[in-house]
Amino acid sequence: MTIKAPFELEKISSDEYILNMGPQHPSTHGVLRIILKLDGETVRDIYPDIGYIHSSVEKICENRKYEMITPFTDRLDYLSAVNYNLAYVMAVEKLLGVQVPERAEYMRVMLAELNRIMSHLMWFAAYGMDMGALTPIIYAFREREEIIDIMEGMTGGRMIHHALRIGGFKYDLQKDFMERLKKFLSHIDDRVDEYEALLINNIIFTARTKGMGILPKDMAINYGVTGPSLRGSDCAYDLRRNAPYSIYPKFDFKVCTGRNGDTWDRSKVRMDEIRESARILRQAMDGIPSGDIMAKVPRIIKPAPGEYYSKVECARGEFGAYIVSDGTEKPYRIKFRSPSFSNLSVIREITIGTKIADVIAIMGSLDLVIPEIDR
Amino acid sequence: MTHTELLEKLQAKHRITESKEDLGVLNAAVGAGAFKSVIKTLKEELGYTQLNFVTAIDWPANNNIEVIYRLYNYDTNSDAVIRVKLDRTKPEIATISDIFSTANWHERETAEMFGITFLGHPDPNRLILPDGVIAPLRKDYKDAAMIPLPKA
Repeated sequence: MTIKAPFELEKISSDEYILNMGPQHPSTHGVLRIILKLDGETVRDIYPDIGYIHSSVEKICENRKYEMITPFTDRLDYLSAVNYNLAYVMAVEKLLGVQVPERAEYMRVMLAELNRIMSHLMWFAAYGMDMGALTPIIYAFREREEIIDIMEGMTGGRMIHHALRIGGFKYDLQKDFMERLKKFLSHIDDRVDEYEALLINNIIFTARTKGMGILPKDMAINYGVTGPSLRGSDCAYDLRRNAPYSIYPKFDFKVCTGRNGDTWDRSKVRMDEIRESARILRQAMDGIPSGDIMAKVPRIIKPAPGEYYSKVECARGEFGAYIVSDGTEKPYRIKFRSPSFSNLSVIREITIGTKIADVIAIMGSLDLVIPEIDR
Repeated sequence: MTHTELLEKLQAKHRITESKEDLGVLNAAVGAGAFKSVIKTLKEELGYTQLNFVTAIDWPANNNIEVIYRLYNYDTNSDAVIRVKLDRTKPEIATISDIFSTANWHERETAEMFGITFLGHPDPNRLILPDGVIAPLRKDYKDAAMIPLPKA
């Protein structure tokens, strides 16, 4: 790649040098390359280079029938796949005018919230590793494994579930789903307290993260940052509350926010969200009705010409599926709006002036998943 | 605010060439000269502070490419879509990365995927694709990998 902007090699002073980080670097959790201009350890400029695992999902989807596209949305984010399914199937259902049965909606919310906890636990584990704490991964994977087992029993897939169908579900909840979920929910709150004591309130962790990578609210919105990264900046925007979808209006939950918008606040918001997701799950367990799990969907899916953009609050922020239909079996155009893409674009603003080790801390706090950036 | 009220407010200041309501969302088609001031009005006066995405749709039958800007107002929970039609043979449009910083990356992606030039863009480098792949999301894009293998 030729680097034309924002820095050119001629503009580097005698004190500065260029350091290449990635695409194979443990802290990037995938294939992300970052080019740094450094003065000693201080970051003078940073330039992310993405696209190493671009697979042109949008072009592939234009050549597939509607029901064949759902599994592709799983693969955009292997940490909270159900949320990505949900955005896509909701868009198609809206175009078709299909009303999903209430039981299916409850099941969707339950799986989506389980996925959110799963994703935040994975973030907690990996972020500990980024910051040099090797214990959290052992702890967090203990709980994460329980969720993965529940999801595996329900769908057959451990991380890439292909759980949802256009119109509802193919299979009902497995027999022991409620029992296992109840067991999981009985101890998750205590475990989150434990995690907070272990890492988030740890004195070394706070010293490294407080006041680091401050993201002001206006800048965050201007850069399209969403999800916990935005809420860390004292901004209570959550699509589950602001643009309610599925049956989220029925549940009582708090939109967790931070105060200063620094790396620590973003971390704390994710821990709080695990507790709120557990609250939603408890309410859903009590309220789930019996009944159908699949709406009447035509055998051949041919939405009327039109377009729809449906968005969900996934673990990283706003994920949206924009579908343009021309009345045939295949979408004319499909666009996936991925949260990490916009979240990563702000990194230049918040890392210049910090030290190179802090770049890892700031990047980790944005919770990036590379397949959905590259798509 | 309903889409008709929004449309009236926009029409008071700008020339909207055509508009329609699509599942509750205002779709306004604007000329390439005026769209920037429309987006500015939406952001600064009407509270549409978030730009969800920028993308494009290729319509070879009409010989044009539509650039789509999708904006969102968190407080009133309403969306607005601005569409600008460009000539397919030489698509050029001004950048809006001075209004929304997030447009920088979204425009870079749209530029390489559809072969559109965003005039005045601060960083017109390729973002995702390697050099040599030209406008893959256009409908007439051909690649050897897209031809299905013969059935055995």
